[in-house]
Amino acid sequence: MIRLEQVTRTWPGATRPAVRVDLEVKQGELLVLLGESGCGKTTCLKLINRLVEPTSGRVLLGGVDVASLDPDTLRRGIGYAIQGVGLFPHLTVAQNVAVVPGLLGWSRAEIDRRVEELLELVGLPPATVRDRLPATLSGGQAQRVGVARALAARPKVMLLDEPFGAVDPLTRDTLQLEYRRLHSQLGVTTVMVTHDMTEALLLADRIAVMHEGEVVGLGSATELLRGPSHPQVERLLGTPRRQAQALAHLLEGVAP
Amino acid sequence: MTSQLEEQLALLPSRLSQHLGLSLVALAVGVALSVPLSLLAVRFRVFRWVVLTGAGVVQAIPGLALLALMVPGFDLLRRHVFPSLSAFGFWPAAAALILYSMLPLLRNTVTGLRSIDPTLLEAARGLGMTSRQTLVRVQVPLAAPVILAGLRTSVVWTVGVATLSTPVGQPSLGNFIFSGLQTRNWAAVVVGCVAAAGLALFLDATVGLFEAAVEKRSRARAWVATAISVAVLLLGAWPFLASRGPSPVRIGAKTFTEQYVLAEVLATSAERAGLPTSRVGSLGSTIVFDALVSGELDAYVDYTGTIWANHLGRTDVADADTVLAEVTRWLAEKHQVTCVGRLGFENAYALAMRRDRAEALGVKTISQLAPMMAGLKLGSDYEFFSRPEWKRLSQLYQLKPAEQVSFDSSFMYKAVQSGEVDVITAFSSDGRIAAFDLVVLEDPLHALPPYDAVLLLGPRADTHPGLREALQPLVGAIDVKAMRHANELVDLQGASRTEAARWLREAAHLDAPK
Repeated sequence: MIRLEQVTRTWPGATRPAVRVDLEVKQGELLVLLGESGCGKTTCLKLINRLVEPTSGRVLLGGVDVASLDPDTLRRGIGYAIQGVGLFPHLTVAQNVAVVPGLLGWSRAEIDRRVEELLELVGLPPATVRDRLPATLSGGQAQRVGVARALAARPKVMLLDEPFGAVDPLTRDTLQLEYRRLHSQLGVTTVMVTHDMTEALLLADRIAVMHEGEVVGLGSATELLRGPSHPQVERLLGTPRRQAQALAHLLEGVAP
Repeated sequence: MTSQLEEQLALLPSRLSQHLGLSLVALAVGVALSVPLSLLAVRFRVFRWVVLTGAGVVQAIPGLALLALMVPGFDLLRRHVFPSLSAFGFWPAAAALILYSMLPLLRNTVTGLRSIDPTLLEAARGLGMTSRQTLVRVQVPLAAPVILAGLRTSVVWTVGVATLSTPVGQPSLGNFIFSGLQTRNWAAVVVGCVAAAGLALFLDATVGLFEAAVEKRSRARAWVATAISVAVLLLGAWPFLASRGPSPVRIGAKTFTEQYVLAEVLATSAERAGLPTSRVGSLGSTIVFDALVSGELDAYVDYTGTIWANHLGRTDVADADTVLAEVTRWLAEKHQVTCVGRLGFENAYALAMRRDRAEALGVKTISQLAPMMAGLKLGSDYEFFSRPEWKRLSQLYQLKPAEQVSFDSSFMYKAVQSGEVDVITAFSSDGRIAAFDLVVLEDPLHALPPYDAVLLLGPRADTHPGLREALQPLVGAIDVKAMRHANELVDLQGASRTEAARWLREAAHLDAPK
């Protein structure tokens, strides 16, 4: 579905590329790009919707080179949700969700119907939230609206950049599980960026571990956990492993 | 006092709407220019520096100077690029106000657009908005409160500075202030100030209503604000819409009492002959001349010595008849301006001092005064020290006063009377010379040229049939005693200029039954 073919991206003035990847995301897959800050995972994501252009190589979407498409049209066809949500503060919840359908020229009635449907889909009661301004929403509600906005025009591909970054752990857990459900229910292909290994292990079909601009480990959670692998992968796996063991130990004590 | 106030209030509607029209045009063009400049300034750092610095420099120039500079500027344009352009009146005033209005608009728009959270801009791009859509749907609405705050500042500044457009020939609420200061008509000054401040606050509140409507997303407020704006626009457009019909005879006046009274006398003569008139008062001395030459004005009264020294650039002195003949010839040949003739009195520059001071010093002539000048203060109007007459006078008599002080000419007489200055450059037809018991010093070296009051007609005066015939009886009709008394009526007895003009017409037998 998505192919980054021998893609590199070098920033002006830099000597070595910030990103050098060769990666394929399958139809219907949820792929997580995992790594520490500055490893190039967000740049990788932005290469797909042309917020960043490759220095060499090409990006294919459904077999078509994205460089041959109009960038605005391309972006309207891809769901995009970012860290910090980026809801427009001067627009109501409904108007935020309606941005892309509006850009695509949907009719008023069609947009209204879609907004209603999406708010329900992400677990928000349309009647009470649709006319509120983003500033009046809780962190979790805002994240849900962000996801609804990304899904608005029924995209085949979703790009999520740390979408659950700014919420408390409980809400985060709920949102993760709900997104996993939506992903399967809607049959979309998702690329998600995170630095949280636990999030990656729980959500992903496959995880691409990035380090200094390159993919240093690629596979399902079990494949990665089974090892042996790149030292960076081991390092990132260290924490969830230790936490899991500690939890298992604690749970043994209370088990009936 | 009440009749003066009523007279001033009667002038209010037309001046208010002219002031409003001028301010609105300046603001509209200012906004139209500031928007694209701000957008470029947000994008390019060097451009931003250039634009904001430029606007800051314009702001630092005093308003009156900026307006006055537009006149020679427009004159250059008229001579070399657009011959049909007027160097006088509406457009030069509007141009200065446009420049003046732009700094708060530019600064707030740039600041507003630049302070938007970059996450939102990335979200907008990532969702597939073009840069235009990002601007219109995200950047401008988010920066709107800051931009509107800039507009409010700009509105208040522009309406305030527009009062200074009077001396470049654009009628405004400033006419009340300028002519009121000259003729000591405080009712007029108060009317002008209150009206200008009221207009500024009213427009500011209207923009504020829009601001609140945007902020509170209130349709009701938006409708009210729109309704008020439409009413304001109609009032501002009135002078443009209403200026149809036969074009009036335009009569000019400089910035002192005698000129206002004479303009009124001229206008009455024209009106008696059935011609519509409009009076353009409070013009700078060179501006009024330029306006006559370019055909913007049809008639005004000037003084032979002023034209001789300032426009012919003569530094020598001749007798009154020679000066009149040469000035008349030069005006006709060079500018197609007709000098109809002398009115019958002279308004010369003359050194004057309090009688008791003059007697104590034993001074009767300027030559006797000269050696003592180093210990004396000389007061004058705004113009005299930069005029060629002063150059000649100070050189011939070796005058080196201890201090030179410039006053508004109506305060100058008060200053010599109270002893704040010792000597002033008085006007020989001023009523205050007699009233304050001042003595005029003789000029044995004839340093000062004669200043016969003469009636001038512009090159387009003949497009008003009967104008020349209507004004002809003024020639030789006004002697210096009558003129002094008319000036005194206004300056010391609180009469309005129309009352003084009525008295002067009677004294000169201008309305004698046929």
